[in-house]
Parts: sequence; C-alpha cells; structure tokens
Amino acid sequence: MSENYVAPNQQRYLRACMVCSIVMTQARFREEGCPNCEEFLHLQGSPEQIENCTSAVFEGLIALADPSKSWIAKYNRLDGYVRGTYANKVLGQLPDEIRIMLEEEYRIQYIPRDGSATEAD
Amino acid sequence: MADNHYGGDSESEDDNFNPAPADLSDEENEAENSSPRVSRKNDHRSSSPVAEEEHDEDEDEDERPSNRTTKRPRIAADDEGGEDEEEEEDEDDEGGGHGDDDEEDEEDEEDEDDEDDVQHRHRRKRRKNAGPNFFDIEAEVDDEDEAEDDERDGEEIEDFIDNAHPDDIADSGGMNDDRRHRDLDRRRELEASLDAEKQAEILRERYGKRAPARGYGDMAVVPKRLLLPSVDDPGIWAVRCKEGKEREVVFSIIRRVEERLGTKNELPITAAFERAGPNSVMKGYVYIEARRQNDILLSLDGILNVYPRTKMDLVPIKDMPDLLRVIKTPSLTPGAWVRMKRPAKHAGDLAQVLDVTENGLEARVRFIPRLDYGVRDDGIGPDGKRKRPGLPGPRPPQRLFSEAEARKKNPRNLQGNPQTNSWTFMGDEFENGFQVRDIKIQLLDVKDVNPTLEEVTRFAGGSEDGTENLDLKALAASLKDSGANVAYVPGDVIEVYEGEQRGVVGKAVDVRGDIVTLRVTEGNLAGQTIEVPNKGLRKMFKLGDHVKVIGGSRFRDEVGMVVKISQDRVTLLTDQTNTEVTVFSKDLRAASDIGGQGSLGQYSLLDLVQLDATTVGCIVKVDRESLGVLDQNGEVRQVMPSQITNKLPKRRTAVAADRSGSEIRLDDVVREYGGQQRQGKILHIHRSFVFLHTNTTNENAGVFVTRAGNVNTIAAKGGRINSQGGPDLSAMNPAMKRNPAENNRMAPPKSFGPDRAINQTVTIRRGGYKGLLGIVKDTTDTHARVELHTKSKIITVPKADLAFKDKVTGKPIDIYSRGGRGGFGGSGRGGYSSGSGRGDWSGGRTPVASATGGRTPAWGAASSSSRTPAWSSNASGARTPAWQDGSRTANPYDGNRTAYGGATAYGGSGGRTPAWNSGSKTPAHDGFGHGSKTPAYGGSGSGDTWGSKTPAYGGGLSAPTPAASGGDWGYTPGPSGHAFDAPTPGAGLSAPTPGALNAPTPGAYTAPTPGPISAPTPGAWQGGWGGDTAPTPAVGAPTPAATGSGYYGAPTPAPYPAETPAGGGYEDDD
Repeated sequence: MSENYVAPNQQRYLRACMVCSIVMTQARFREEGCPNCEEFLHLQGSPEQIENCTSAVFEGLIALADPSKSWIAKYNRLDGYVRGTYANKVLGQLPDEIRIMLEEEYRIQYIPRDGSATEAD
Repeated sequence: MADNHYGGDSESEDDNFNPAPADLSDEENEAENSSPRVSRKNDHRSSSPVAEEEHDEDEDEDERPSNRTTKRPRIAADDEGGEDEEEEEDEDDEGGGHGDDDEEDEEDEEDEDDEDDVQHRHRRKRRKNAGPNFFDIEAEVDDEDEAEDDERDGEEIEDFIDNAHPDDIADSGGMNDDRRHRDLDRRRELEASLDAEKQAEILRERYGKRAPARGYGDMAVVPKRLLLPSVDDPGIWAVRCKEGKEREVVFSIIRRVEERLGTKNELPITAAFERAGPNSVMKGYVYIEARRQNDILLSLDGILNVYPRTKMDLVPIKDMPDLLRVIKTPSLTPGAWVRMKRPAKHAGDLAQVLDVTENGLEARVRFIPRLDYGVRDDGIGPDGKRKRPGLPGPRPPQRLFSEAEARKKNPRNLQGNPQTNSWTFMGDEFENGFQVRDIKIQLLDVKDVNPTLEEVTRFAGGSEDGTENLDLKALAASLKDSGANVAYVPGDVIEVYEGEQRGVVGKAVDVRGDIVTLRVTEGNLAGQTIEVPNKGLRKMFKLGDHVKVIGGSRFRDEVGMVVKISQDRVTLLTDQTNTEVTVFSKDLRAASDIGGQGSLGQYSLLDLVQLDATTVGCIVKVDRESLGVLDQNGEVRQVMPSQITNKLPKRRTAVAADRSGSEIRLDDVVREYGGQQRQGKILHIHRSFVFLHTNTTNENAGVFVTRAGNVNTIAAKGGRINSQGGPDLSAMNPAMKRNPAENNRMAPPKSFGPDRAINQTVTIRRGGYKGLLGIVKDTTDTHARVELHTKSKIITVPKADLAFKDKVTGKPIDIYSRGGRGGFGGSGRGGYSSGSGRGDWSGGRTPVASATGGRTPAWGAASSSSRTPAWSSNASGARTPAWQDGSRTANPYDGNRTAYGGATAYGGSGGRTPAWNSGSKTPAHDGFGHGSKTPAYGGSGSGDTWGSKTPAYGGGLSAPTPAASGGDWGYTPGPSGHAFDAPTPGAGLSAPTPGALNAPTPGAYTAPTPGPISAPTPGAWQGGWGGDTAPTPAVGAPTPAATGSGYYGAPTPAPYPAETPAGGGYEDDD
C-alpha cells in the first residue's frame, strides 16, 4: 500500500511543511518527521514543533512521482526532495527563531511557501 | 573568483587550526563527487569530534548513491555544476598546499601517521594529475581536461576508498588512540591561544562566506525565471475531473505511482497536481505532467472521478508557469473585517480582527455574540436527548453581551472584571460586549467580506463618548480587495505609479480589459499614446478638483472638492456636510454635478418626515443607506428609510406665533429667545415646533429645532409687520401691571399679506439718492429696497424717506389709504393693525392712521387730536369706544361683526379686531367688576370674539370701550374704573369718529351705541375672556344688537343691565 496516500477521511489532518511544502498527515509528521527537512526541523515526535513548522492551511496539491525529471518539481523547487505529495502554497510563516536558526546555523535560505517570494522575482 | 579566493582562505584557515586529516580526505571527496550534502556534513564535522567524523565518512561512502535522491542534494542548476567543480578543485588544491605545510609541521611533532600517509599519497597523486599547483593556468583548465581529471579522480576515489578503509578501521580500532588524544589536546590549546575575536572571525569566514554558495542555500539563488520550462521538459495536460474530487484524484495518482513503482508498468508520469481552492478557477481539472499524452491515458485508466478520455488539453509551455503561480494571500491585519464560517452559530457574521498570531494561522477576532444566556443551551433537546451541536436551528439574534443578563440567567458561569468590562461566560470571552475568540484563519472568510454600513456601525457605535470610531483604513482595505478592479473610463486623468512608465501622466482614451490606453499629457512623452496595464495606475486629481466618490467607501456618492492628496489617498471637503473625508483616488471621479445625491429614495435633505405618531424630524444627513434625522426634541438619530413613516409635505401656509405673538411663516428669519440665540430661517413649522436653518454652523447641516414660542421674528418674508417698534403697550396697561402674568399675552394684530409698498413707484425724499425714482422691490419693517430707474441698482432706503407715486400719473399717493382696508372693513382688519404701533404712517393703514386724519378716533393719533376720544390721549379716561373699530364694524356687510352699542361696534371680522388680546387687560379689572371688561379678548381667529366686547363698557357706564383694537383698549379699562366722568361713551358717540370713517360705519355704529349704557353683556363673556381665548362672550354677548346686523343682535343691552357684569366671570378671572 502506498505510504503517501491519504484517505479522504484523514485529509482534514493534513499539514504542509512550511519549508519544503510536503503534505502529510499530522500523525505521520509526528511519527516520521519531515522526510526533507527533518535534520533541521526535528519534527519527529514533537507536536509542538509540528504545530510551528507545518501549516494546516495550504492550497493546491502536487503528486510528485519523479522529482528529478519533473519540471513542476523544478519550478516549485521541489527537485531533490522525496517522492510524495506537496502543496502549491503553504500559508503561515515559520517562527522567527526557527527561520533564523535555519539561516544562521544551516545556511539555508528559507523560501517562504506562501507566495511572498514570487513577488520578489 | 572572489568566492574562490575566500574559499581558499578559509580552507587554509581551517586547516590551520583544524588539521584533522579526515577533513582533508573529505575535501577531496567532496570535490570529486561534488555532493553538497557531503560538503554540508563536512561543515558540521569540522567542529565535531574526529571519531565521529570517521564514522560518518563511512556512512557517507555507503550512502552516497542513495543520497542523491533521498537526501537533499544541491539544487543548483546543473549548468553551474561544472564550474563549481572547477572552483572547488582549485580550492582544494590550494588548500591542499597549505594543508601540506601544516601536515609537515605536524610531522615534526608526530613521526609517523598512517592515515596521513594515505592522504599524502593521494594528494600527491592528485597533484601530479592536476599539474602545477600554483600556476594560474590551473584555473583555466579546459573542460576536457577537467573531465579527464574527473575520470581519474573517480578512479582515484575507488582507489582511495579501498585504501582508506583499512586505515579507518585501524583508526577506529583504537590503534591511534594516543595520537587522537594528543591531537585533541593540541587543538584545544590552539583554540585557547586564539583570542575570541579571532575565533569569531575564523568562524565567520568559515561559515559565513562560503556557505551560501553551497548546499541548500543554492535553491534561493536560482531565480524563477531561470526555471521556466523548455521544450525538453515534460508537458502538462489538463484533465477533466469531477469537481470537488480533485484532491482525491491526486492522492489516487500518488498511490498508483507508488504501488507500481519498480514494477514493469511503472507509471510514466512525473507529476500531477490540482489547484481547486474554494475560489479557484481551476476547479474540475487535474493537471498531469508526462512526456506523452498516451502516458496519461495509461496512468489514469481506472482512477475514479477523472476523465482523461473526455477532455484533455495540453497546456502551452508559456502558460505553464502561470499554472503554478502562487500569489500571496494578503495577510490579515488587525482591524480588518472578516466573516466567520464556523462555529455554525456565527456563520456569516462579521468579525473584526484584533490580532494575528505570529505564524499567521490564527486570528483573534471580536464579533457580536449570539447569546441566549443558557436558556436553551443546556445541551439537552426537548426530547431529552442530547442535542447535536452545530445544528442549524434558529440562532439567537446578535446582541452585545450583557453582564446583567448573564448574571441573572446563569450567574455561576460568569466570571470577569467589571473594570475592564471583560467577562468569561460559559467558557466564552467577552470584552466590552463583544465576544472575543481565537479562530483559525481557515475558518474565516477573508475575501469578499463586503461589510455593510449597518454591520460596521454596530462595531463602531460602541465607543463610550458616542463618537464613531470607524477605522476607515481597515474598512477601506476590506472593501478594496473585494471590489472588482478599478474601472477607468476614457477621459480619466491617470498616473502611472508602478513599473517602467512610472510617473507618466495621461488621459485615458481607451480601456480594454486590463489595458488602458493613455494619451500622455505631461513630460517627455507628451503627446504619445501608450498602453499600460491597469495594475500600476491610479487616477490623478488636483487640489481643487470637484470630485464624486463613486464606490468603495461608505462615502459613496459624496461630492466635494479635493483639498489634500497623499499618494493614492485623497481628502475632500464634501459639499453637503462640509466635512473632510479621505478616500482612495480610485474611488473618485471628476464630478459634473454639484451637491451630489442628497436624497435617498423619496427622502432628501431637509425634508420633514414623520418618524412615529408623535415624532417628526428633519433630515439633516443623507448617507448611502441611512438618514440622519433631527427630531423635534433636538436629537439626531440615524434611521433607515424603512423606519420613516412618511414624508410630510411642506405646508407653505403653515403659520405659528412667535414669542411675541407675531405670526411667523416659512422662510421667516427668527432668532431664539434665550438659549443660544441662534438665528435661522424657518424650514418647517410643525405644531409648536419650528425647524430652522442657519448658515453659521454646519452641525446637522445647519438645522436646529426650537419651539415657535421661543423665537423672535427678525425679518418676516415680504415685510410683514412684527411687533417690535411702536409703543410697548403692555407696559402702559395698568391691568397688566397689576397682574403681570405675561404668559397669555398675545401678539397684537398686524396686517397681513405683503407690504403694500412693494412694487410701488416711489421717489426718494432724502439722502444721497434724493429725488430718484424707483420701484420698491422688497421691504422690511423699516426699510425698503428700491430699484432705481436711473441706474440699475437696488438700494435700501428707510421707508420714511419714500414718497409713493402713482405709477402712471406720477402723482403722490398714499398707498395705505387706498384699497379700502381700514375703512371698509372689507377685510375687517384694518382696525387693529395699528395695534402694533409702528410708525405713524404705517399705522396708517388702518383707519386710524394719522395720515388719514379722518378716521376713527384711533390712537394712532397721538398726533391727530381730532379723532375721537381715543385713548391715545391717555389722560382722559376717555378712550372709549372703540374707536376705530367702531369704524369697521359698521360694516354692515359683514355678517359677523356686529356692532354694538357703545360706539363700539366692532367689526370683528376675523374676530381679531377689537378685543382680542385684551382679555386680560381690559376692563376687567377695573375694580368695579362691572362687566367692564368687555369684549375683547380677542379670540383671534374666531369670529365670535367680538361679540364680547361690546358689553364691556356696559359696565362702565363710562366704560370705556370695549374694544379697541388689541392692545390698546387694554387700557381703557383702567381708567374707566374711575372714570365715570369718562366721556367715553358719550364721547364716542358724539365722536366724530364714525363720521370719520368714511366708511360705512357710521351709520351703523351710531345705532348701537346706545346700548352701552346698560352694559349688559359683559357678564356673559366675561367668563369667557377670563380664558382669554374663550369666545364665549360672544354669545352671551347680547350685545347691543344694535346694528341689527348682529346676529346676536337680540338680547342686547337693555335687558340686562348691570347684572351681568357681576357675573361670576369676574371672580373666575381673579
């Protein structure tokens, strides 16, 4: 059975990671963490961190079958991530301390997924 | 190559203080593999214990292949890859150089190091391959060479791995434990020896400069425009699916993808997505990315709710980015308006954002609660079962939270602080009557809120000083994003404020969709026509422009003048209310009309409307959806048109009496007596209230309301006479002095209708314009505005300076003598006019007038001794008989006026004549109690009046007259009291008066007079006049009968001699 499939009755528990925009159920975030961002977000087993770094408000759903070949993935900067479902737009903002931590400690430039980045282009 | 340089530097620095050999090997691995992940790890590693590194490295080696897909690899565009590699290699080489030195140093300290050996071997090999290290040519190595290098490097790696492994194992085997410890010690020493600043510097250089160029950070560096699709990318097809099932379809696809992964029918598609938000235009489609259309057919075959066979469109390459465009949702700001979707009880209710959480996912909002204070909210339905929450059912109306009610109905669940007016009731929070709650933003409707004025005012009304504290900015913002785009119409003057054409100003000549064609009017481009998207445009206005608000704000339809412009906010001074309002320029349009609407439905500004059975009001403000109404009690209320019962038509004929009893009509100018002494023009008269309009204030559009009895006439339209000027008769009235209840005083009679002087031809007798001929255009009490014949000019001249001329013949005339007013009594009025005693001449109209000499006895007469007994001569008790009236009375014609004996005879036509106000004064009091009081009382208005007077003097033998017109005869009595001697009657009779009147009178009145003696009547009416208004007398008033005209004629005098007077009436009176 597919691990990324979410039954309709579970879909209301879906959340999207604010960093990589992957969409999973809250339970799965808790059990497995974010497959792309776990090393710095540490979502696994931490409902509080999940609450802070993922958002239940997202728009659009992308099923990414082959992240390396898909233009959609490239354009949404999802290439290099794991196969799975991603959101097109994730509302909400990463808490400041986490953003700063990302940028200063991991040297990752955080690209907001809520659309505020596109206007800069 | 600045980066490069940095890199090199930092490397060397690194190595300087962290010479762990493992690092070096890593460097090389990294260079060769160009795996960012490794490099990142590497970064960590440099500060982590060596043991771990080693272990890690092992892992890395193993994992590397899978890392490429499962871990985040560098996202940098591939084309940069080669360059990077080259750079890195450079770095490595340089670093390697340094490292070498360092290592040599180390070697001084440490004799042998296997690992190092390995490194060195490797390094040296590499160096050989790479060629001379310190030559610039190195940087310019050809790609080919590079490739070769890579290949060789690749070989070396294997080589290296093979070689390294045993070493690593050896290391971890603890063989070098000793060395490690020393190593660590050395490092610590080194670190300690560097001062903190230096360390910080090093750290910064190590991490600060190079990191952004590597790893994850690269993602951000590639701008989206470089990511646009090319023909090499797979295509995207839009596939029809069942609306509302888009997300399920996407999940089904991912499931199928994963299920078939690694099987022979692996799905050939690369991605699929949907964007069917609640307001999306992309509902009913899923988009599939694949190489070929057939792949999609294959892939989607058998998936529910998606219909690849019915409709499938290839999305053009240039449209593909648009499919994925993400637009930032405007974030909620405190003060913004939203609608709630849940809880169901409040679905659709307007709420105001108080605060938004940091992550923007929750908002604290306030809204008007729907509370029933636990009445029905026990959670148990009528059937005893638990109610399911969220049932639609009827919901309580929106009402502000009431502490009192909560306390009454459910005190246990209430907690709170009266000071701050914040409460917790049944688990809900309330502040200042509003319910406050944190709500997830997905439960709020943020777009298309369209708060109505009604709703918003409920929020705004709450402030304690009663002022409206609408946050217009927030409201405008809510309204702004709800409305369609700004509509430009040809002719609008438009400014471009965004984009390349910024600053261009022009006039719109054409608008097509989003494109506005401008004819540039200013600047370099003047005269050219350009097309611009309407996004970066705004309308431009100049100070002083007359504009109309066309939408958006609650000021819609206001018209005014621009007084301030700041960016796209324009402040205008409205025509109607003279207030400043600020709106967005997009909501404005140049206005051609003035004043704007000023009406709402059938109601317009300054209309008089009926609010309820007992309340009327004058509309002082017209809003978009409501009206401001100033009611008769001076309160302004905001009402909906539906709350108005009906509109009261303006009654041109409405009349009221001012404080002094003068008649006031619409458009008269009056001033409040006492209070603020406001002066205004009468807009409406409703019962005893007058609505006035003034230009001295704009409060309530200049409208205020007061009682009719509380104003003094300043100027009556058409120059009606008012009571000012002339002798203050009441002051002379002994009766009044004795009984100074002034309340009942009535205004003296006046003449009615327009001043007869108007339209007369006159010459000016005095002053600068002396001798000029003109026409009277308008008059006041004392002055006339005369349009001169000579030059077309209107001047104001005292009436006394005018001489009236016949229009045709030019002969001097006396306009007041003509027309038979006084004399004929045709109107009956004549008589009293004088009451008011204005200047002689005006008094003149009456018979009395001095000018007219002949008539009546009238007082006017001060000057003319000739007439009658007239009171004028105060000295003589003699005033008697009604002088002037007498005159009219006569009129036989008038049915109603009777004449009475006693000279009097009034014509009471309108009833006013004689007597009227008098009630009080007259005879009455004269101690005697005779009926003296007479007639009078004037019921103004009523015909009866007059009856009354007669009698009057009946009592007094001498009794004065009855009658005199209004005020005058007031005195009479006084004197009469004593004055038997008073000539009066007699006088009266003899009096010329009658004669005087050219009028018919004479005959008439003589007749009656006689009666007087007996003075019967009185009694009767007396009572009446006590009441002042009471007409009574009339009847009783047997009157003289005299004239025969009288219908009462009958009884008259004779019969009841004295008795009458005695009548209780008197007593009553006193």
